[in-house]
Amino acid sequence: MDWQNLAYAVTQIAHNFGAVAVVGGAACALAWRETEAQRRLAWLVLAGWLVQAVSGAAFGAISYYYYAKFPDIHGIAVAALRVKVICAALGFILAARLLFAHLPELPRRYSWFVLCGLGVLALSSAAVLRWFS
Amino acid sequence: MRNLSMLALVLTGLAAPLAVAAESKVEISSPKDGARLDAMEQNKLVYNITPGGAGDHMHVYVDGKETALLRQMKGSHTLETLAPGKHEICIKIVNKNHTPIGVERCIKVTAE
Repeated sequence: MDWQNLAYAVTQIAHNFGAVAVVGGAACALAWRETEAQRRLAWLVLAGWLVQAVSGAAFGAISYYYYAKFPDIHGIAVAALRVKVICAALGFILAARLLFAHLPELPRRYSWFVLCGLGVLALSSAAVLRWFS
Repeated sequence: MRNLSMLALVLTGLAAPLAVAAESKVEISSPKDGARLDAMEQNKLVYNITPGGAGDHMHVYVDGKETALLRQMKGSHTLETLAPGKHEICIKIVNKNHTPIGVERCIKVTAE
């Protein structure tokens, strides 16, 4: 058993499901307008962004554990990583605001649009980060 | 006799993954270490990589700055124009997460 690859694979699984939650949850919330459904979806999106942040950090931690080095990325890849981190921070704050701020209908709808956009942007940046260094 | 055959079969099975997992290695055939290069020319880095089990692709560094990503295990890469002076060119094998696995080859050249 290659424990290093297993660790990366488990982290990737969590990261992928986090991505599904942040984009899928926000997209579903735009379609389903019932308050209770949107509240559940807000929890899903909040959890998704948290998973994204923790699993993203775990990729670096696994590298450091096995090689005492973090991934060696520069230029475009660093920019893509920064975009992902900003998306995760904003996504988490916005989802928490949806849950606890009791927003009126219109700001709530705008928030879901922004959350959906942040998810799409984060996923697009992930592709850049994967193929550039 | 049958037990011995079974034992041989089991040992062969255990040894097989060790034989398959080749050792990671970086070879730079050109330019040679200590070579003098024409600063006005586009110089080519000719390499041959054995990624091993953990390696996935390679990063190229000139004076510690990453300049390229290589996915072909054998071939050549055109270097950016080198300013006159001494330079260090390195190829490092990295894993899928872009982390250097500790296998690298560095050469020193002088551009004139």
